Amino acid sequence: MAKQTKTYTESITELEEILAQIEHEELDVDVLTEKVQRAAELIKSCKEKLQKTDAQVQKILDEMDS
Amino acid sequence: MSNTESFSLLELNEHIKEQLKLIFDRPIWVRAEISELHENATGHAYLELIEKDANTDRLLAKTKANCWSNTFRMLKPYFESATGKRLRAGMKVLVACTVEYHELYGISLNVKDIDPNFTLGDMARRRMEIIRRLQEDGIIDMNKELPFSQIPQRIAIISSATAAGYGDFMDQLKNNTEGFAFYTKLFPAVMQGEQTADSIVAALDKIFEHQEHFDAVVIIRGGGATAELSCFDNYELAFNCTQFPLPIITGIGHERDESIVDMVAHTRCKTPTAAAEFLISRLENAFDELLNYQHGIVSLTNSIMQNETLRLQKISAQVPRLSNELLFEQKNKLNLLTVQLKRESTQQAKEGLRTITNYSSDLERKLRLYLSRKQHQLELIEKEVQLSSPETLLKKGYSLTLKNGKILKSKTQVKTGDILVTKLQDGDITSLVS
Repeated sequence: MAKQTKTYTESITELEEILAQIEHEELDVDVLTEKVQRAAELIKSCKEKLQKTDAQVQKILDEMDS
Repeated sequence: MSNTESFSLLELNEHIKEQLKLIFDRPIWVRAEISELHENATGHAYLELIEKDANTDRLLAKTKANCWSNTFRMLKPYFESATGKRLRAGMKVLVACTVEYHELYGISLNVKDIDPNFTLGDMARRRMEIIRRLQEDGIIDMNKELPFSQIPQRIAIISSATAAGYGDFMDQLKNNTEGFAFYTKLFPAVMQGEQTADSIVAALDKIFEHQEHFDAVVIIRGGGATAELSCFDNYELAFNCTQFPLPIITGIGHERDESIVDMVAHTRCKTPTAAAEFLISRLENAFDELLNYQHGIVSLTNSIMQNETLRLQKISAQVPRLSNELLFEQKNKLNLLTVQLKRESTQQAKEGLRTITNYSSDLERKLRLYLSRKQHQLELIEKEVQLSSPETLLKKGYSLTLKNGKILKSKTQVKTGDILVTKLQDGDITSLVS
């Protein structure tokens, strides 16, 4: 898989882990806050990857010889 | 026939013609391969039919054929709609023909009818052959087994820039409702006719050099039911597709039939629009998954925080009560102790006072006793002193004799000539010792 998707897949895996931890472990309120913040970051970056156009990527493709 | 008898060429040919007419009085079904096919302006079709050796491909038979426009006008669309293919050279056909012989032009076949199923059967056979080869090579599923990116955003498109399919595909992709980002690059190729396979393979080669920049390849072409799929039933093309390192998605615009490229592709879509939809739906799934995680985490966290808040409230509600209770307890204790203290200290004070009072009266009494004793002693001493005082003694008749102011106690202290003073009760006598 290309580098771009690997980061996305890694992010999703981390999100799954966080969700599982919150669900099954008795987390301290401080740790919980930390985890939720991290999750929010991950979700934001994933959403961006899906919906925000990265000009760099298109540029590479445009400059390719076809 | 005697050797004196001879025929003119025309006579011979006419004779042949008659005989042939007798033998072939009705159309017969002939299996042959079309090696050439032309249709002229008037609508008549002229063909060359051949037969090749199945193993060696060596030409075994060849005959001209034709089909008059009134017949061809019907057979052509009939064949095309039945097979989905245009009648053309290279195809194996089953045709009903009458055998014609013309004195000038020789033998030819006149096509009256065609059985498309034969051609279909042959086409199917050829396809099966290609599929079998791919299966034997063990590669037929290779592209299907490739992992498909969770977010296929970078797409290499093999299509013709002018094809309607390409326009539809790009439209769909760029204007998707969720606003997903896609990155595309067109690798133009010929999408119909004999050049198709080579052209697409060339495009695949170009994409191969940049494979790390793409998530998938899309092969699309607009069309409709009449567009030919046979150009995609090509072994070389399928071979390249199966082994391509990126997943291939086809949208070759054919509702009904599947070409071999469709079969070996990772995912087959019916049309270019469907292919775009497929890609968009993958991203939608990823997005939904994200939302699920988001909701899951939010709701879990909320319920945890609610529980903690409740817990805290319970505890803090108890604190005033508990602390009041404690305070109350302590106050009581304190009061009790205070009362006790008062009682004890009053008690003790009383006792102390009593003791002191006792002591003081005791003291007084003892003091008095002491004083009186001492007084008594003093009186005794006074009396004694009085009795022993010189005045008393002098009164009694005793006298004191002094020498040089000192009292004489022994006669030895005196010698003749000394002056002595004798103290009597009423005065002194001065004497001289003789």
